[in-house]
Amino acid sequence: MPTITIDGEKYQVDGEQNLLSTCLTLGLNVPYFCWHPEMGSVGACRQCAMMEYKDSEDQHGRLIMSCMTPIRDGGIYSVKDEVAEEFRGSIIEDLMTNHPHDCPVCEEGGECHLQDMTEMSGHTMRRYRGTKRTHRNQYLGPFINHEMNRCITCYRCVRFYNDYAGGEDLQALGRNHQVYFGRQEEGRLENGFSGNLVEVCPTGVFTDKTFSSHFVRKWDLQTAPSVCEHCAVGCNTAPGARESGNSNEPILRRITNLYHHDINGYFLCDRGRFGYEYINSATRIQNVLSVRQEDVISSTAEKGDRMHREINPQEAVLHLAEQIAMANQGKRNLIGIGSPRTSLENNYALRKLVGSGNFYSGLSQKDQELLHLVSTIQQDDRIQSPSTPEIENADAILILGEDIYNTAPRISLAVRQAARNRQKQQAKSLKIPLWQDSSVRQLEGDYSPIIFAGTELSNLEKITSNTLFESPEKVASFACNLALAISDPTSLSPDLEPSLLELITHTAGILRGSSKPLIISGTSSKHADTLKSVAQVATVLSDYKKQPTMLYLACDEVNSLGLIQFFNDGKGNLDELLERLKKNTDNQIPTSLMILENDLYRRLDKKSLEQLLSQADEIILLDTLLNPTSKRADWIFPASVTAESQGTFINNNGLAQRFYAVYEGKGFIQESWRWLMDAVNFCTEKPANLSAIAEWQHSTDLSDAIAREFPVLKALDSLGPDEDFRIDGLKVARQSARYSGRTAIHAEKQVSENPPLQDPDAPMSFSMEGIHNPNRSPLQANIWSPGWNSNQSIFKFQEEVGGERRGGPSGIRIERPQRVMPEWPAPSTPPEVAADPSHVQMLPLYRLFGSEELSNQAMGISEVIEAPFVMVNHIDAKAFDIHQRELIELETSCGTYRAEVRISPTIPSGTVGIPYGLPDFETLSPLLPGYASLRPAEAPAITED
Amino acid sequence: MSSLLEPELIEVMEHSNRDSDKFSGPLTAEEKEEIDREASHYENKSSVGLEALRIVQKHRRWISDDTIQAISNYLDIPVAELESVATYFQLIFRQPVGKEVIYLCKSASCWVMGCDRLQKHITETLAIEPGQTSADGIFTLLETPCLGDCDKAPVLMLGEEMHRNLDESAIDDLIDKKKKYHADKSPD
Ligand code: SF4
Ligand code: SF4
Ligand code: FES
Ligand code: FES
Repeated sequence: MPTITIDGEKYQVDGEQNLLSTCLTLGLNVPYFCWHPEMGSVGACRQCAMMEYKDSEDQHGRLIMSCMTPIRDGGIYSVKDEVAEEFRGSIIEDLMTNHPHDCPVCEEGGECHLQDMTEMSGHTMRRYRGTKRTHRNQYLGPFINHEMNRCITCYRCVRFYNDYAGGEDLQALGRNHQVYFGRQEEGRLENGFSGNLVEVCPTGVFTDKTFSSHFVRKWDLQTAPSVCEHCAVGCNTAPGARESGNSNEPILRRITNLYHHDINGYFLCDRGRFGYEYINSATRIQNVLSVRQEDVISSTAEKGDRMHREINPQEAVLHLAEQIAMANQGKRNLIGIGSPRTSLENNYALRKLVGSGNFYSGLSQKDQELLHLVSTIQQDDRIQSPSTPEIENADAILILGEDIYNTAPRISLAVRQAARNRQKQQAKSLKIPLWQDSSVRQLEGDYSPIIFAGTELSNLEKITSNTLFESPEKVASFACNLALAISDPTSLSPDLEPSLLELITHTAGILRGSSKPLIISGTSSKHADTLKSVAQVATVLSDYKKQPTMLYLACDEVNSLGLIQFFNDGKGNLDELLERLKKNTDNQIPTSLMILENDLYRRLDKKSLEQLLSQADEIILLDTLLNPTSKRADWIFPASVTAESQGTFINNNGLAQRFYAVYEGKGFIQESWRWLMDAVNFCTEKPANLSAIAEWQHSTDLSDAIAREFPVLKALDSLGPDEDFRIDGLKVARQSARYSGRTAIHAEKQVSENPPLQDPDAPMSFSMEGIHNPNRSPLQANIWSPGWNSNQSIFKFQEEVGGERRGGPSGIRIERPQRVMPEWPAPSTPPEVAADPSHVQMLPLYRLFGSEELSNQAMGISEVIEAPFVMVNHIDAKAFDIHQRELIELETSCGTYRAEVRISPTIPSGTVGIPYGLPDFETLSPLLPGYASLRPAEAPAITED
Repeated sequence: MSSLLEPELIEVMEHSNRDSDKFSGPLTAEEKEEIDREASHYENKSSVGLEALRIVQKHRRWISDDTIQAISNYLDIPVAELESVATYFQLIFRQPVGKEVIYLCKSASCWVMGCDRLQKHITETLAIEPGQTSADGIFTLLETPCLGDCDKAPVLMLGEEMHRNLDESAIDDLIDKKKKYHADKSPD
C-alpha cells in the first residue's frame, strides 16, 4: 500500500484510486464538480486543484488537478496550500460570473453541490458586476425541470445520460461561452434513467418536476430508509415527507436514491423515482368504505360493481371481528388471499388469521409455478445470484426471454456497464487507470459480448452483439440446444437451421471462453420451459467451469420471492381456490373472501375471476388504491403504502430488506396487519389460535414470528435494527436538525407546540430529536454531513468512495436449503405453422411506464404511458393485410379488445405483442401468453364483453 | 458582442430553425451519393456526421431543422448528436446565411491592426451587425478568431478565399465585386 503525505499527515492509501477520491476516502474536504464516484474523472472543471511537491525540499510545489492525478508512493500533497486555495476560489468566481443569484427560488438550494463548494472554497464575495449570459429553457417532459442559466458546464449530465445510461437525446450543444445542455428540440427526455440527472447535476439545472409541485427544502423533509416497490430489484430509496400546507397530515413529496452498494449504487430508474405519486393520487383509499345497498344505475358501472360509502372504522372492524368469531365456530369460511406486492408481515398476518389451509397466494397457478421454479433454481449450489457490482463485472452476458430495461430496469443499467469490460480490460493492459474516464472510453474495441434471445429487447439493442427474436417456445428450445452445445457440441441435432446452429455454437463458445459469464432471465415471458432450459444452461456451464454460474432471475413484483416462501408445497394458487369454491357451492356455510393488497383482475382471467368472486358471500379488501377488485368489495380498509409502513420485502437475489415508515399514513390509514389485529382484539371471545395476533404490537413481532415459523425466512430475526435499538440512549431522528416550523406549523389551530408524534414501532423518532449520524446505523436516510448538504455527502458514510455503507449492511440473504434442482425433460420443439390471423399467440411486452400497477397511478407517469397497441410482425401484417395504426380487434376467450396496430420487424411471426398491464389492457394480462384471433375493427367500438 | 450592460441573449439551438423554403426537405440523390462516397473512408456510417453536414450545407447554404433531421434519418445518427456537432463547428450554419459569408478576424494581431474599424465600415456599408444578413440576401457578417495570417493583418475570409492587409477601400472593392457578380448571375 502506498504511503502519501497530505498537509504534513502521513496516510496509507489504496493506490488504485486517484488523488481526489483518495482524499475523500480519508475524509478530507476537497472541492470538485466534474468527478463523480461512479463515472470517474475527466478533469473538466478545475475545481479539485491541489499542490504536489517533488520532495520534502520543494517549497513551491506545482498545481495539479487531484482528480486526474494517480497516487505516487511517497507523494507529498497539499489541499490547504494558499496557491491551491486561491486557485479553487478563482474557479468558483469564474463560474459565478454567469451563475444567477437565485438560490432562494432554486429548488437545488439547501442541497446544492455548487453552494457547498462555493462555501468550501471560501469565495464569498463577487466582484463581477456585468450582465450574465442567459438561455431559454426547454420543456423536458413531466419529470424534469430545466433551468439552463444555472449551468456550470461540468459535463456531468451528458456523461451520465449518454455515456453511462446510453441516452441519445441530451447533448452538449454550442461552444465557447454558450454551451447548452439540452435536447435537439423540446420534448420528454426519453431515457428511463433521466431522473438521475436531478442528483447528478451539481446545480439546479435539472430538478425534479414532480417534487416541484409540493416542494420543500431538503432540511424540511422527514426521511427513513425504504425500498422501492415498483419492481423486484429492491433498490433502496429515501422518500421524503412533510406536513402539507393546509392540514397537519404529512404527504410524501419525493423519492431520492439511497445508496446501496450491492443493488442500486448511486442510481434509480424513473419508475422508481417518479412512481411515488400514486400515493397522493385520487385513487388512494383513505377511509374505511362499505358497500351501499341501493343498486347502481349508471351507464359506466358494470354488472356486479358496487358503490361505497365512508363508514366509521369501528363499525367495519366490529363486523370483521364478528366474521372471525363465526369462522371460529365453524359457521363461516374465512379465506385469505395474499399478495406479492405487500410485505411478508402483512401476508403472514392474514395467513395466521385464516389458517394456512385457507390462505392463498393471490397468484394464478401459472405465476405461482414460475416463482416456485425461480426459487428452486436459486437453491441449487451451481447457481449464484449476482449483485449489481458482480453484474457490472461480467465479461459475457446471455439474456433469455427477459426485456430487463422494462422489467428490472436498474439491472439493465448494470448490464450496460458490463458491456464496457473489454474496453476496461484493454485499458488495464495499457496501464490506463479505470477512473480516467475519457481516455478509457476513447479506446477502440467492441463491446463485451451480450447475446439476447426473447420477444422484445428495449434500450440495449445497440450494445447487444447477437439477437434472436423468437417466441418463448423457441427461446426455450434455443436454450436447450445451447446447454447441449456447452456440454458436448457434437450432440447437437444436425437438423437445426444453419443460422440458428451458428448462433448456438457461437454463444456456447462465448460462455465457455469467458471467465465471468452471466445469464439473465426471469418470469416475465410467463413460460416455465424457458426458465427450466435457462437453469439447464446455467448448470451445464457450472459443471463445465467448475464454479457456480451467475444467474440473475427477475421476478414480477417487489415481494414475489418473499410471498412464494409461504407456499413451498406448491399449493395455494387462485385456480385451486376457484376449484375449491366451486365444489363448496352446496355447502351451506357462507364464505368471506379477505383480499390483501391485490387486484385480482390482473391475476385471473375475467371469467374465472367473476366465478371466483361470485362464490363468495362477502368480499373484504385491504388495499391502498381503488382498482377493479375494489369495485366488487363489500368492505374496504385503507392500507398503508410502503413509505407509510414497516416490513420486509425479498428481492430477486433473495435479499430480505426491511423498510421503515417515513411518515404515518393519513387518518385511518394503517398497515394491513393492524386492521387484522384490531379485528381480533374486538372479538369478544378470543379464539385460542388467534391469541398470538392479539398480542402483536410492532411489525417486528411479526417478523420474529415469521423467522420462528419458517426456517427459510430465519434471516428476518436478524434484520434490524428493531424498535428498542438506541444509540447513546437515543433513537435516530427522521427529521434533520434544521427541520423548520416546528413551533409554528400548527399555530392556526393551537399556539402551543404539539408534542412530536411518538413512534413506538421503530427505532426512529418523528422529530428532529435523536441521532443524525448515518455512520452509526443504516437507519439514517437523510444523508448529510457538515459542509456537504448535497447527496454527494454519501462518501462520508462509505468505507471508501464507492464502497459499503459504514452504518452496517441493510438486507440479509434468506437461507434456502441447498438442493439440486430436478432434471426437467427437454421441452418439445414447437411445430412450424403458418401464421394465421384467427390463431395468433399473444405475448406480453413490458413497459417501464405502464406495466406496473401502482406507478401507473402516478400523475407524471400516467402522462407518458402509451396507448394500448397490438404489435404485429411486418411479414404477417402484409399477409393479413393489416396496416400501421389501423384499429384492430383482438378476440380472446374473455372478450374483445381493440387497439391500434403497431408493425414491428422483430416481433416473431405468428405472434402478436400485447403491452402487459397497460391501462385498459389490465384484464388482458392474465391471458398472456395465450391465443386470440385478429380482425379489423368494425364500428361501433365494443370493449370487452 | 453585446455591451456589458445589455443582456446578451444567446441563440444557440434554443429556438427552432424551421424553414419552409427550398433549403429543407429530404436529401437529394446527389447529396446522398456524396455522403456515401465520403462515408466509404470511414469505418462506419455514424462517424461521417460532420462531413455530411458540410456536404449538405454546400448544397443548401445552411442546415435547417428539417435538413438536420433528414441527415439523422439517413445516417441513423441521433439527431441530438448531429446537433451537437453542428453547433460546435463554427462553419456549420443552423440559421439562414447570405450567399457570401464574411468572416472577419477579431483576434489580437488584427485587433491591433484595426479590425474594429473595418467592422464598423462593413456594418455601415451593408447595414448589418455580426450575425446578420444584408437586405439583398448577399452578405452575412461573422466574427472569427485568428485565421493564421497575422503577419498580413487585418484579414477576413470571404467564403473560402482569404483577403489580407485590408483597409476600407479594399473592403469596398470586395463588396462591389461580389454585388456585381451576383447581379450578373441569374437570380437563384
Ligand atoms: S447542466 Fe448540470 S450537470 Fe450538466 S453541465 Fe451544467 S451544471 Fe453540469
Ligand atoms: S429498478 Fe425497480 S426497484 Fe429499482 S428503482 Fe427501478 S422500479 Fe424501483
Ligand atoms: S473534479 Fe477535477 S477537474 Fe473537475
Ligand atoms: S489575429 Fe487575425 S489572423 Fe491572426
